[in-house]
Amino acid sequence: MEGRGSAVKTPASRIVKRRSKSYGRSCVEPPSQFWYTPGQLTIVRIPTSREAAKSRNITEKVDPEKVALLVKNEWKLSHVTPLYRFRHTQLKQYSRHLSAFIMAEKQQGVAVEVGPETTFKVTFSTVLGLAETEEDAETVFIQIHSKPMFAAAGDVPKVVWSGWLTCVNGDPEYLRSLPPDFVSLPLFCTNGPEALTTLVKSWLERTFDCNCRSLILNSTILNWLAVLWTGCHPTTDIRYLKLDWTLPTDPSLDISYRLSPQDVWELWNSIHQEDSADDTVSLEEVNRFMTGLESHFFRHFRIYLSAGTLMKVSTSLGSAHHNGKIKIACSNYIPTVLTLLTECAILRMPI
Amino acid sequence: MSETSQLSGLDADASRQSDSSDPGLCNRSLRENVRKKVDAETQFRLSLKYLSEVEAGTVVKGNDQLERNLVVVESVALSRGLSPEAISILLDFALSLRVGGNICLRVLKFLIPATIVTQDAVVRGVSWLCVGKMPMSAQVLFVRWVLTVFDLVDCKDQLRDIYGFIFSFVTDENLCPYICHLLYLLTMKEHVKPYRVKKLLDVQAKMGRQPFLSQLLALYKVFCPELVVVSLPSRMKIGFKNHNSPWKSALAAVQRKNRGEVLTDQSLVLAVKEKPTSRKRKLHHLEIPPLSSAFHSSSSNRKVFRLEQLSSFSQLLENLHNIELPAQMGSLLSSSLALHYLDCVQDESASLRLNFWLGDSLHQEFLFGPADGSSEASGEASHFLSMLLSTQHFLQEGFSSTESFLYKFLSVWDGSLFRPQILGLLSDIPLVPSSCIKTLLFEPLMQLYFTSTVFFKCSVIECLNIMLVKWLTWHSVSASEDSLDISLNSTSAMSMTLSGFMDSVMELVRFVGRLATVGLQLENCHALLLCHALNFYETVCDMFLKYSLPLFVMPPVGVFYPALFAVDSVTVDQLGYIMARYRKNLTLAKKQEQQKQQTFHVRGNTYKEFNQLLVTMVSCLWNSKMFLPGMGMEIGEDLLAQSSVPEFWNSFDLIHHPAFLSYAIEFHQKCWPERRDVDLNSIKVGKYRNWYMEFLLNQGFDGLKEFVQVNINQRSISSGSQGDGQPVSQT
Repeated sequence: MEGRGSAVKTPASRIVKRRSKSYGRSCVEPPSQFWYTPGQLTIVRIPTSREAAKSRNITEKVDPEKVALLVKNEWKLSHVTPLYRFRHTQLKQYSRHLSAFIMAEKQQGVAVEVGPETTFKVTFSTVLGLAETEEDAETVFIQIHSKPMFAAAGDVPKVVWSGWLTCVNGDPEYLRSLPPDFVSLPLFCTNGPEALTTLVKSWLERTFDCNCRSLILNSTILNWLAVLWTGCHPTTDIRYLKLDWTLPTDPSLDISYRLSPQDVWELWNSIHQEDSADDTVSLEEVNRFMTGLESHFFRHFRIYLSAGTLMKVSTSLGSAHHNGKIKIACSNYIPTVLTLLTECAILRMPI
Repeated sequence: MSETSQLSGLDADASRQSDSSDPGLCNRSLRENVRKKVDAETQFRLSLKYLSEVEAGTVVKGNDQLERNLVVVESVALSRGLSPEAISILLDFALSLRVGGNICLRVLKFLIPATIVTQDAVVRGVSWLCVGKMPMSAQVLFVRWVLTVFDLVDCKDQLRDIYGFIFSFVTDENLCPYICHLLYLLTMKEHVKPYRVKKLLDVQAKMGRQPFLSQLLALYKVFCPELVVVSLPSRMKIGFKNHNSPWKSALAAVQRKNRGEVLTDQSLVLAVKEKPTSRKRKLHHLEIPPLSSAFHSSSSNRKVFRLEQLSSFSQLLENLHNIELPAQMGSLLSSSLALHYLDCVQDESASLRLNFWLGDSLHQEFLFGPADGSSEASGEASHFLSMLLSTQHFLQEGFSSTESFLYKFLSVWDGSLFRPQILGLLSDIPLVPSSCIKTLLFEPLMQLYFTSTVFFKCSVIECLNIMLVKWLTWHSVSASEDSLDISLNSTSAMSMTLSGFMDSVMELVRFVGRLATVGLQLENCHALLLCHALNFYETVCDMFLKYSLPLFVMPPVGVFYPALFAVDSVTVDQLGYIMARYRKNLTLAKKQEQQKQQTFHVRGNTYKEFNQLLVTMVSCLWNSKMFLPGMGMEIGEDLLAQSSVPEFWNSFDLIHHPAFLSYAIEFHQKCWPERRDVDLNSIKVGKYRNWYMEFLLNQGFDGLKEFVQVNINQRSISSGSQGDGQPVSQT
């Protein structure tokens, strides 16, 4: 009964377009790689393997002063949709406009002229050299200086807020698919008062028609970080691997699990097959590593860590928190960590 | 008559009274009125002439002549309004201060225009203002008068030319609010200059935060966002006050008399900016951004029109070619006028920007966002979805970001959250290629379908029905406008062959067939579900005739038989209609195929399937040969014997069918009112059968009527003999 009712000879000339006009890219376009994989929340595939962390002296490529700025602080992460008509050549203008915008927002209803120096001084600058591939846009660093209310003549304005927009090893297919009007700097790291962050975000949203949202680091990302950092141990002493879990008990139980670097390295070494050609780490290995740590904990305390949520991973190389706060302590691994985070941010892109 | 009554109310009354009594008297009073009118006219002209010739320095106190002439002009002005020339003369007379400040104020107060005000008069007035001799009260009153009659000024180009002169008055503390308002009405992009911005900011520094200054500066920001930044607090009063109080009532009265309509208050009314969302909620994922000019606007001399200035559809039409897109594309969704414009936007970047915003908002709120179950949040969310839905209906097209969001959302949806909106959005999904339709759409829907209530099942089938209709409509439009499809960007419009399209439609129809079959079993042939399933097949059966898609899919037996044996007559009637339409479609297809007009070929199997269903239906309803061998459907004899139903072949004909039994009984009672025991078989005899058919088909069963007309030949109806369902011949 339900058999195909009719067969059709399709005339070769008669091609039907999917739609006459389109409000955007089709998400089921066959030639592109942006294809839906069922059960997955994004169009870009989650990679199942990645390169192991390699120590690299990044200061050879990037201005050491700039690197010092990145390493110093703890950063709150956001993801940003591609920026429309962002030009690296107009940073001066952006500086002036953002500082006027901040003033105007601070004193609602009072108009502010763009140009003259205000109590908030904004500087935009590029961090050349962080980008790894052709497709990556150069990182943009933003600083907000503030003059104290009753400043003496010689007082230097203090940095009250800083943030940077970056893209390191972003999915080349995704970046190439964007029209030239867009610049994708998907990862936005901020440090400073929440109020200023909100202002800068809303300025970005209004000026470049983008959306900034907080980035949550799920346990997969944290697991990857734990493994990547552990893998660094032979080259750089990680001193410890600390994992923080929260278990859904009432009241909730926080567990801090601190491991000696030698132990975790041995565990990892037993799991990870090092094929000399390209040193890659697979997702399966990561899962086995984490299961190993969890079962070890279970043997001693009879608690299934897998029932809880991994909240934080830290080593002496850096730390990452579930709520999207990261700290990079060692500049040599900046590209590795940023690659991972960029990927995480691109995974959040709506289209 | 009305003219006279305007001149002197009392006389008019008198003449109206005399109308009825004596025609002679009436004539006389009419003549008198005309004479009086002429007198008044001359008097007014003389007074005006007198005033225009008054020399500077004339004594005012005790000057009866001046007073008398002023009263004449004043009374005319307040009752009829003044002509443009009179306005011009009087304005000159007043502002020149020839007879002093008090008279000036008095004249300004009765300057009620009857029709328009010439621009010249206003420009001369401004030049008097620049002379700087007027007392402050007169200056203020004059500017307020200009604001009041602004919409009556015939044209404004010269006023715009002297923008700089008018601007110079902003530094005057008393005049500033009114001058700002006037400037607001006059400002064009070319007027916004850095030194003017500076001046206004200086004034702001002196006077503090004033709504009129903020408002003017905000307009400057619209034109030159790179020069000035202002953010209007959400609760601040925006707009300007009305300054028309001295003239309002007189102006309205005069205009009512002259034009029969009241001048609408076109000045910006003081209003508090609307803020629908509460400030309590911290994360406004779903807030539509306000319209604002792009920061990096093209600074070329090209004349651009900002969407913020857009206030009417005609304005949109006039400026369609040079409208500048706003800073945030999402803001287009905030106004219906902007949506009209969105429909014409042919810029890939623009739609991408919109989709980024929309997709991100949807993802953040419904997929990534922390679930906060507050009623306020869910109210906001459902409001947003409804807005999105109505926008898509307006554009008659779904956004691609909605589409991709829905695919993800379906897999986590519980089937009840925002059900009407989600299903509405789902039905807007454009054609999905058959290769991925299953994973994207069918699998998540099926899970929800089989685990939900019958009402959810109904709405799913309804949603898929609407989706099918949209696909088919799109097909019939795009197929006929083949060349019209100037695909904006070769990457976005997906090319698909006709057979690809048919594959997708086929998948969808089959899927709904499965859903309906199993759903009807699960829900015990729920009447509502059956109705929705049949609605779907109403679309399917007409695909060839209505949408010229040569695809014929019969309803599965799991839908056909429950409908045929349904206990409500509406369902059977609907089935009749569907079968009749199938026949019409197939007949036409056959005809075209024989004439070799079409390149398609309908498989013989399709006709066979249809004929089998048709034979079953005719033999069951019409011929009373149910379950008999060769009549479409057969059941084992022993089973039939077990059921111990006498004359089982009768039990589903149009007389005994449970759906029509009540009609048969009613008919029986009408035919034989005296008979106590009902014998339905007596209806079958002779002319009664024809009468019964006529009676039944006139009960509003149009579908059944069509079915009978198409399938049963007239001879068999009239002769009352057994009809035959002429099957569509197979070849």
